[in-house]
Amino acid sequence: MKRTFTPRRLIGAVIGVVVVSGLAACGGGESEAGSGSALTVNTSFVVKSLDPGAVYEPTGNVVVHALYDTLVTFEGDDVSTPVPDLAESYEASPDATTFTFTLDQDAVFSDGSPVTSADVVFSLNRLKNLKGSAAAIVTNLSFEAPDERTVVVTSSVPDPSVPSMLTMPATGILNSKVAKEHGGDDSADAASTDKLTSYLNNTAAGSGPYVIESFDAASRIVLSANPKYWGEKPAFPRVVFQNMDVQNQKLTMSKKPDASVAMDLSGSSLDGLPGELQQTSSPNTYYQLRLSQDPSVSKVTSNHDFVQALRAAMDYDGIAAIFGEGGQPAAGDVPTAFAGALPASEAQKQDLTKAKELLAASGVGDTPVKLLYPALTFGGVDLGTIATKVQADAAKAGIKIELDPAPIASFLEQRKGGKVALSFSPQSFDYPVATVEVSDLMPGGGAAEAAGWTEENADPETVAAAQKALSTFDPAEQATAIQDWQRLMLQHSPFITLAYNSGVVVASPDLSDATFTAAGWTLDVADIGRK
Amino acid sequence: MVVHRHRGRLARFVVRKLLITLGLLLGVTVVTFLLVQLVPGDPTTTNLSESAQNDPAVVAAYRAKWGLDQPMVVQYLTYLGNLLQGDLGISQSTGNTVAGDLGRYVPATLEIALPAMTLSLVISVVVGMWAAVRKDRPADHTVRGVALVGLSTPSFWLAILALYVFFYVLGIAPNGGRLSVQYVPPDKITGMYTVDALLTGRPEVFWDAVAHLALPVLVLTCLTVSALIRFVRSAMLEVLDQDYVKAATAKGLSRWTVLRRHVLRAGLVQVVTVGGLAFASLLSGTVLIEQIYSWPGVGQYAYRAAVNLDLPAIMGVSLFVALVYTLVNLLVDLLYGVIDPRIRL
Repeated sequence: MKRTFTPRRLIGAVIGVVVVSGLAACGGGESEAGSGSALTVNTSFVVKSLDPGAVYEPTGNVVVHALYDTLVTFEGDDVSTPVPDLAESYEASPDATTFTFTLDQDAVFSDGSPVTSADVVFSLNRLKNLKGSAAAIVTNLSFEAPDERTVVVTSSVPDPSVPSMLTMPATGILNSKVAKEHGGDDSADAASTDKLTSYLNNTAAGSGPYVIESFDAASRIVLSANPKYWGEKPAFPRVVFQNMDVQNQKLTMSKKPDASVAMDLSGSSLDGLPGELQQTSSPNTYYQLRLSQDPSVSKVTSNHDFVQALRAAMDYDGIAAIFGEGGQPAAGDVPTAFAGALPASEAQKQDLTKAKELLAASGVGDTPVKLLYPALTFGGVDLGTIATKVQADAAKAGIKIELDPAPIASFLEQRKGGKVALSFSPQSFDYPVATVEVSDLMPGGGAAEAAGWTEENADPETVAAAQKALSTFDPAEQATAIQDWQRLMLQHSPFITLAYNSGVVVASPDLSDATFTAAGWTLDVADIGRK
Repeated sequence: MVVHRHRGRLARFVVRKLLITLGLLLGVTVVTFLLVQLVPGDPTTTNLSESAQNDPAVVAAYRAKWGLDQPMVVQYLTYLGNLLQGDLGISQSTGNTVAGDLGRYVPATLEIALPAMTLSLVISVVVGMWAAVRKDRPADHTVRGVALVGLSTPSFWLAILALYVFFYVLGIAPNGGRLSVQYVPPDKITGMYTVDALLTGRPEVFWDAVAHLALPVLVLTCLTVSALIRFVRSAMLEVLDQDYVKAATAKGLSRWTVLRRHVLRAGLVQVVTVGGLAFASLLSGTVLIEQIYSWPGVGQYAYRAAVNLDLPAIMGVSLFVALVYTLVNLLVDLLYGVIDPRIRL
């Protein structure tokens, strides 16, 4: 009998396909790696490479930290004191220029070969000579290996923060033999001769708790436990990083899945999450206005009274509230995750009367100023919302601000040129020590230069306070010096820090030690276990 | 003899089209290269950290590594020289060859675009013809209304809504990606997980991959059908109004026979044109859908390339898109003759 393919049959076939697809979604089939043995990390990927010499993006840092050991590290969410990792101990010279590390003799790479000082020197020299984004961490450092277990790190400037720098994922130690076999180079011209990155995107050559199972920068990174790991074995034999949109992360975590973590839920996206989910955070990011002090760029923003008027006009509590639970009104420039932050009792307050007086004293009248900011969502908050709030607060004091949102590439380009009168952006540290910020914001630092704030037009007292903070080596005394510096910055600097905010780690109820850290890697997946 | 002459014309047509394609691709490289140079941004600012940008040695090393220190003409000619040898360059943002990246992301896009396009064509032709036959009746109004709603619906909103309903509320669809976390992707043969899973004898991976395809395909289908259905309806109405259709009906042929033999065949010529463009559009990237469903396709790759001002990747995607549109157009032209023999090339 001849069968006719009528429209009705056709529609039936289409419905059939859809139903089959739906049924297939219900059925799981047999698992290959066992879903119960995998930790799932849902995050919106910002990753280019898994090469420690090239890594500096958030997702890359989390993954590389799990693949490569560093000389020292931080334990849990405590970023105050580096603890042993590959180095069982270290000593600093009294002038904070020479640091001697002694390697743990048990440390081995994933191929079973021992970690030697030659590997350390190769890796750190390669990082420096690749001249990538992370090279800035070790620019002032040089490295020597007097014997197989000793590494001497010398800083060209006195700097007690050197051990903290050497916790960063970019300083992960490579198996130099494997690296050289696959095109690795640590010579001075490594930037053009090194060919190792593509190999390291597929195969980890480190001594960390995990190795790479697969890497796709657009969708999924899978790690499996390093069978030859020399430290405490991680609880999960497999970690799957899934590239996931924030909305999807929220839906996924709302279903309270097993052994899952979400890394990008913050601000308003935390609202309505089930109470059983665990949340940890620590304010480590600051949101700052930068006013050019170069009169040729803007006679308005370079006016000291105008800067102080704008500072007084800001509603710090209101701005912090936009970030939700993770937000705090700024007291000084250093977020509360780090030693040297000012206490919450010193948080800035809006004073519109003072703002109006200062604006009148400035004599700039009602000349409008453009506020340049990157048009993007950061930390779960649209930066346009913050900029609009700044505009509204300023208007209450009679200050006219015109919003000038720009794509991130354009924003960075314009601000780098030093010709922007007023700009706004989120900021974080290269490594978790507040002196990074002191160096950046003090006259001569990168941010200060871009704001036209030079030693000539800066007040000597603030400059001296910055230098004292950088040259004080005792941790407690240094924290006090950083606090003193911040109080002067509030009176004299062209930077207005509005609020601190934090990344948040949201974890399923069955996990232990899924803790947000202000260290460079945000989350140590090897620490995470089951309750 | 007639057949040979026709084949000769066809060969000349294809060769001519391919030569035009080569010229077009060359034009695309020039225009894309110039446009990227005009973008107010510098790859060093988007690809280097703020600290690194403050170090002139780091910036100089980056410029030298990627040839950005060379005059624009030299950069372009170097790119063109490499391109002629089949080398699309190295992506500044992934460190991989652009050809390798495209080889990974294009199959992922194909895997959702092919079923979405197939379903869209089938549904829009059937429903569009049905609406045309029932012109100005309630069924017709309903179809046009639903299509209008579909056209007006933002794609990201529909994608999130589908995720909410099928994943969160009903729990019958996965939350994105190409495979569940417990599965290892099949060995790469075509790059399409469903096909490769079948070819390597892994049915459980096949079904899991199919489950992950369901939502993005469903959403893409809804969006494409909405665009196509109104077009199909008007194309069919035009044919239904032709004298030869009326004559066929008057001769006593059944309604279904008239529709199938005369209306559908003639109407399809126009549908194929629009369908081809819709397919090319699907292949060239559905950024928001890929983003929401964590689908590692061409759209995501293009987006990341643009954000990072990754010139080789931007050029690679542009060439791919130009190639897709040209080949689809060629295919559409060839299909005209197959669908309607009255049309000769």
